[in-house]
Amino acid sequence: MNRSTSGPRERLELLWIVLAAVGAALGLRLAQLQILDSAEYRQMAERNASQMIYQAAPRGRIYDRAGVPLATSQPSFSLIFLPGKGKARQDLEPLARELGRQLGRDPQDLLETLDEAEREQSAARLAENLPTATMFQLSELKTLYPGVDLITEARRYYPNGRFASHLLGYMGKMSPGEWKLRKTQGYRADSRVGKMGLESAFEDELRGRDGGIQMEVDAQGRLKRKLGEIPWQPGSNIHLTIDTAVQKAADEGLRKSLTGRGAAVAIDPRTGEILAMSSQPDFDPNALLSTDPEEVKRVSHDMPEFNNAIAGAYPPGSTFKPIVSLAALNEGRITPSETFYCPGYYKLGSKLFHCDKHEAHGEVNFLKGLAESCNVYFFNVGLKTGADRIEKYAKMFGLGQKTNVPLRGEKAGHLFGPETRRKAGKSWYDGDTLNLSIGQGELTVTPIQMAVVAAALANRGTVWRPHYIQKIAYVDGRPDFVQKPEALAQVYAKDSAWDLVQKGMEVVVSSGTGYPAKVPGLLVAGKTGTAQNPHGKDDAWFISYAARPGQPPSIAIAVLAENAGYGAAAAAPVAKKMILAAFGMPDPEVEAEKRAAERAARRALRPAGAPALTRPPLPGGAR
Amino acid sequence: MSALKQPQPGMAGRVDWTFVFAVIGLVATGTVAMLSAASTTMYYQAILQKHFIALAMGAGLFTLTLAFNYQVFQDQSKALYVIALGLMFAVLVVGSSIRGHRAWIRLPGFSFQPAELARVLVVLVLADFLDRRALRVQDLSTVLIAIAIAAPVMLLILKQPDFSTALTFIPMIVGMLFCAGADVLQLLFIFGFGAATLTFPLVYTLCQVRFPNSAPGTLPAFVIAVSKMGLATLALMAGIAAVSFLVWRMLTWMRLQVKPFAFIAFPLIAASALLCGIVINGHMKSYQRNRFVAFVAPGSDVQGAAYNVIQSKVAIGSGGVWGKGLFSGTQSQLGFLPERHTDFIFANVGEEMGFIGAGLILGLYMIVLWRIVTAARQARDRYGYLVCAGLASMFAFVMALNIGMCVGLMPVAGIPLPLISYGGSSLVINLWSLGIVANIYARRYALL
Repeated sequence: MNRSTSGPRERLELLWIVLAAVGAALGLRLAQLQILDSAEYRQMAERNASQMIYQAAPRGRIYDRAGVPLATSQPSFSLIFLPGKGKARQDLEPLARELGRQLGRDPQDLLETLDEAEREQSAARLAENLPTATMFQLSELKTLYPGVDLITEARRYYPNGRFASHLLGYMGKMSPGEWKLRKTQGYRADSRVGKMGLESAFEDELRGRDGGIQMEVDAQGRLKRKLGEIPWQPGSNIHLTIDTAVQKAADEGLRKSLTGRGAAVAIDPRTGEILAMSSQPDFDPNALLSTDPEEVKRVSHDMPEFNNAIAGAYPPGSTFKPIVSLAALNEGRITPSETFYCPGYYKLGSKLFHCDKHEAHGEVNFLKGLAESCNVYFFNVGLKTGADRIEKYAKMFGLGQKTNVPLRGEKAGHLFGPETRRKAGKSWYDGDTLNLSIGQGELTVTPIQMAVVAAALANRGTVWRPHYIQKIAYVDGRPDFVQKPEALAQVYAKDSAWDLVQKGMEVVVSSGTGYPAKVPGLLVAGKTGTAQNPHGKDDAWFISYAARPGQPPSIAIAVLAENAGYGAAAAAPVAKKMILAAFGMPDPEVEAEKRAAERAARRALRPAGAPALTRPPLPGGAR
Repeated sequence: MSALKQPQPGMAGRVDWTFVFAVIGLVATGTVAMLSAASTTMYYQAILQKHFIALAMGAGLFTLTLAFNYQVFQDQSKALYVIALGLMFAVLVVGSSIRGHRAWIRLPGFSFQPAELARVLVVLVLADFLDRRALRVQDLSTVLIAIAIAAPVMLLILKQPDFSTALTFIPMIVGMLFCAGADVLQLLFIFGFGAATLTFPLVYTLCQVRFPNSAPGTLPAFVIAVSKMGLATLALMAGIAAVSFLVWRMLTWMRLQVKPFAFIAFPLIAASALLCGIVINGHMKSYQRNRFVAFVAPGSDVQGAAYNVIQSKVAIGSGGVWGKGLFSGTQSQLGFLPERHTDFIFANVGEEMGFIGAGLILGLYMIVLWRIVTAARQARDRYGYLVCAGLASMFAFVMALNIGMCVGLMPVAGIPLPLISYGGSSLVINLWSLGIVANIYARRYALL
C-alpha cells in the first residue's frame, strides 16, 4: 500500500479542485444576480422602499349666481396605513384593537383591511374625513405603531347641507362596473365620483387631477423622506344661475308642505336661467361623505334619488288653463266678455262633468273663469276652440317634449290631443276635449316644463331651454365657457291675447284662487291647479311669475306639492316664499319663526347663566 | 509586525505576503462594510469600539502565532483537547444566552463565543491524531476514532443549541480524513450517512409544504407516515435491506467482484441515517424548520424565514455591478435586510459595493484558500499539512454556506462570514487560525 506523502498530497489537489469549483459556482451566481437579473431586483428594491400616497385633488367649486359657494372642498385628514415588511396578522392585532377603540369601528374589519394592505403591500385608507378631536388622539398612534400616518386631502363639502340636492348631486364611491370603465381615466379604486345632478353631469370638468407623494419607507413602513411629489390640479369652478335665497325658500317651503313631497322650479323668464330647482324629499350630500360607514350605508339606502322636478310627470290640472285661454283668444274662438253659464256641472251625453267642489259659478266671463278656475267655463271654451288647436298650443309651449335641461333622467311627459291619439291609432271623443280643457285626462307634464310654460306666459312666448350654468371657469387656461340663453320655440300670439291671458293670471292672484301668493308692491300673476291623482289625494299646482311694477317679469315659478290638495292652499304659499326671496323681501312667516326661536333660546339660556351660544364657525372653503 | 520577527532573521522572506495581504484585504473590506451596515443600529459606537479592539487583538495573535513553531500545538495536543472540551462545558454551565443560544462566556469587560475556538482546536487535535495514525489511516478505526474525538465537542455545541456551527465540523473532518488518505469508500459511507441524515428532514419538509393534503398511498403521505416511526418506517428499512441484498445477488450472478462488506454496510448506514434523520426531524425547532421551508419552497411564506433570503437576494441583485454606494443601500439602510452587519453582511456588500465589492470578497477568499492549500502542499510535516487541509475545508465550507445563503443557494444557517461579519471572538479566532497557516508556510523548510 502506498501510504507515503505523495498519495494524500494528490488528494489535496482534488480538494483544491472542489474548493475552486465552489468558488466558481458562487461567482457565477453573483454574476447572475448582479449583472443578468440586476434590473429586476433593482425594481423590487425600489418597490420595497417607496410608497405612493395619493392625495385626492380638490374638486372644482360650485357657486350660486352671486358667487356664494354651494359646493367646496375642505382639507380633511385621512388615516392611512403603510404596510411594513414581514408583519404577520397577529402583529397587526394590537393596532386593529386600538384603532377600533379610537374610531369606534369593528376591530375585526380593521384587521381585515390591515391584513389586505400587508398582503398587497399597498397603502390603505383606514378612516377618512376625521374630526379634529380624534385626529389629535390618532396622531399619537403614529409614534406607537409604525406605518400609521395622517395625511391631508381635499374633501367635498356642501356648506348648505340639504340644498338643491338633486340639482347639485352628491359624491360617492364607484361601483365595480364604474371602476372598470374609469380605470384608464386616472381614477383609483377609492376615488369618489359625482353620482347625480351636476356633480355627475360635469364630472369631467369638476374633477381635478389627483396628486401624490412618493415617500421612502423603511421596513417597518415608517415614512423616511419625500422622494418626489406630483402636485394635484384642482378641478374647474362652475358658476350656477341658482339664487340661493330662492332655492332655500323652495326647499323649505316644500319641506313644510302637507306631504313634504313635490317639486319647485323657478326660471328667469328673460333668459331661461334656472333660479331654483327643488325636489322633495331631498337629502344631505354631506352625509354621504360621512366618516361613519354605517351612516353612509343608511343614508344611501333610503336616499330619494328621484328628481321630481324633471322626472315626475303629473297632470297639470288647471295650470293648463292659461294655454287653453291663449289658444281660444288668439284664434278668436271666444271674446273676453263672452259668458257661459255654470250650474256647477256640465252634461255631455249622459255624463256629468263637475266644477270643483260642485260649486255653481253662474254667468262666467273670461276673467272670472280664469280667476275662479271654473271648469264649466273652460269646457265650453275647449269645445268652442277645438282640441286640435289646444294641442297645437300645448305643443308650442313645449309640452310632451323634454326641455333638455342638462340633467340626467328628464321625462317628456305626455301630450294629450287628437293628433297624438291619431298617431297612436285611436279615436278622439268630446269627453276627451273636456278633460284636455282643464288639464286632465292623459295629459302629463313635469314641473320644469310648467316652469318653462310660466316663463313663456310671462315673456309673451319665448320657450327657453332652461339652464343652470352661468359659466365654467376652466383651470387649464381655456377661456371660460359662458352659457348663452337658448330658445327652444316661440309661441306667436296677438298682443291682445297675451294681454288678456296675463291680465287673467294677475286677477287670479289679486282676487282669485291664487290670492295666497299675493305680495304687496309686486305684480304677481299665477294660476292654481288641483290635479286629480288616481293614486291618492289631489296634487297641488301653482304656476306664477312676478315683476316689479313697470319692469318685465324676472321670475317664473312652477310648484307642485304631491297629494297636498288645493293648489291655492298648498302650492301658492311656496311660490310666494320664492317670490319674496327673489326680490329680497322679508318673509313675514320666517321672520316670526326666527323671533320666536330667539325668544326661546334666550329663555333657555338665562336661568343657566351661561354665555350666549356662539354659532360654530362656518367651515371655510379652503382649497 | 517586523519587530516581533526580528529575533528570527530571514523570517520576513519566508512569510507568505500574498496570503497576508489577502487576509488584510478581507478584514479591511469587512470593516468598511461593517461601518456602513451597522450605522443604523442603536449601538453603532459600541459595535465600532468592539470591532477595532477585536481587530487589534486578532492582528496581535496572528503575529504572535508566527513567532513560535506551530509544532507546539502538536506537542500540546492533549491540553488543547481538554481546553476545547472544558470551554464547551463551561459555556453550558456558566454561559449566558442570547436569542436562545447558550453560546457566550461573559467575562468582565468582554464576552466571547468559544465554539469557533473549539472548532479550530479540534482541527489541531485531529491533525495530531491523523499524523500519528499515518500507517493505519485506511483502517475503519481511524475514521471512527477521528469522529469519536470530534463528537463530544460537536454534541456540546448541539446542546447550546447551535446546529449550524456543529454542522460545519462535518466537512472539516471529512476534508481532513480525505487529505490524510483515509479509505474513500469509508468516507463515502460516512459522508452518505450525514447527507442521508439531512435528506430526510428536507424531503419531509418538502412534502409537508408542497403537498400538504396528499391522499394516503401517495409518496408524500408515505414520507409523513415514515416520520411517525411506525410500520411505514419499518417497511422502508426492510425495503432498503431487500434492495441491497438483491443488488448484491445480481452482481454476484453477473460475476462481478464486489466486497460483500459494502452490502452489509450500505443498508446499515442507510437505515441508521434514516433513523437519525427522523429523530432530528422530530426535534427540530420551529425556526430551524422554517429555514428548511425557506430552502425547499422559497416564496411560500414571505413573512417568515424565506423573507430573509428574498430580501438578501434583492439586496445583492439590486446592487448591480457598481453598487449603490456605502450608506446608500436601501435594502440595508432602511431595514429590509435582516442581520445586515452579522450573518447577512455579504448581502450588504453586494448591495452597496455591487459586483465589484462582492466579487472582491469572493476573490480574496479564493486567494486565501489557494494560499492555505499551498501552505499544506509545502508544509514540512504531515501535521502542518493536515492542519492546513482542515482549515481550508473549514473556511471553504463556512464561506460557501454563508455566501450561498445570501445568494439563495443554501438554506439559511445562522453562521457568520469569517473575517467579514461583525463578531469579536469570531474575528480573533479566525485571525489566530490563519496565523497558524502563515506559521506553517513560513516554516516550510524546517530550518526554523
